[in-house]
Amino acid sequence: MRRANTGQIRVIEAFFAVLVVFSSFAVTTNLTVAPGKTKRADLASIGLQALTELDSDGSLGNCIASGNWSALSDALNAVLPTGLSFNMTVYDEQSQQVNTEVITNGGFGGQDVAFVEYACANRGPVFHCYIVRLRLAVAS
Amino acid sequence: MRLLRRRLGSNSSGQLLIVAALTIAVLISSTTMYVYDLTRETTVAEPQSISDLIMSIRQSTRNALISSLANVSNGGPKTAIVANMNGLSDLLRNLRHLGTCNQAFAALNDSKYDSGSRLTWNEIDSGVSSAYANFTLTVYGTTARATTIYAVNVTTAVTLKGFYSSLSGIQKRVNATCKVYNENSPALVRNLRIYYSNAGNWTLVGAENSLTVVNSGNGSYGIGFTVSVSSSTVDVSASVHDLRGIFVKANTTCVSP
Repeated sequence: MRRANTGQIRVIEAFFAVLVVFSSFAVTTNLTVAPGKTKRADLASIGLQALTELDSDGSLGNCIASGNWSALSDALNAVLPTGLSFNMTVYDEQSQQVNTEVITNGGFGGQDVAFVEYACANRGPVFHCYIVRLRLAVAS
Repeated sequence: MRLLRRRLGSNSSGQLLIVAALTIAVLISSTTMYVYDLTRETTVAEPQSISDLIMSIRQSTRNALISSLANVSNGGPKTAIVANMNGLSDLLRNLRHLGTCNQAFAALNDSKYDSGSRLTWNEIDSGVSSAYANFTLTVYGTTARATTIYAVNVTTAVTLKGFYSSLSGIQKRVNATCKVYNENSPALVRNLRIYYSNAGNWTLVGAENSLTVVNSGNGSYGIGFTVSVSSSTVDVSASVHDLRGIFVKANTTCVSP
């Protein structure tokens, strides 16, 4: 009886060994870095750099001070890479919303949403500073 | 001995297989954990984000200083620089997405600068409007803290030189060159007004003076106009607003070559 069952036990042991090896794969696949985190960090960096570039000649502050929201939206579209959707809100020193229109390129959505804040000072003789809050997402 | 080997070989080979499998599993797990740890360290985005934030704040500070100098040079109070920088520092404390920001500043006070501003418009052949302040910016991130010390200098300078050629009677044709600089780099003007001194009164030069202004495109403006003054010299003044709205003035005395 023992001799007859030896082969079956070996098969069960081998099966168990394979199960142990593959269970380690199953456990460790959950430890891989979530790609969303990296993407969000990249998006935030892209957003901050875009706002910095836009404000390098003071045009961001000028657009806000003059309330030219469509020009601001166009400028953001120009500096941001294609395939990104954005939604921007501008607040003054008292945290009151300044923009009277929605500043977006439409179709805002997607899973990876990054959030960027930028302190904007306009260059005009009358000093104003604003907080620009930009949300970015990969267009779905 | 041979018997022991045979026994081990026949009875324990399955257990040995499981032990080997467990060892392989532990190796796979530890390797993956190690790789995961390494990857996590390189993908922590905060230091890069903080450096981006610092860059953006430095630019905003520069824009704020430009605004302040535009205010002061156009007749605003000299306290505008300190007031505006205080306003910006307050605003920066409201930035929260990467931690908290604190920016301290000191407007330059020395023999040339008063409360961070310098308006030198009465020197011969040149004029300077400048603002200077030192800043200490600290960003307290969730996992990192960064401090940067920097200075911002905004300067618009103008040089004016010229001569005149006598025409009929007391009429004189003045030719002058006005050069404009932003932080020592050639810059363009938003508007340029030329005045000449007529018996001690500054008179705006206009079309009636056959005024010509040639923009060379490199911050140099060739100016020509005709005046009727009896003196042997012609005092000329150039009032400039650069593209940033900063005002600066320069005077020169033109003589016949």
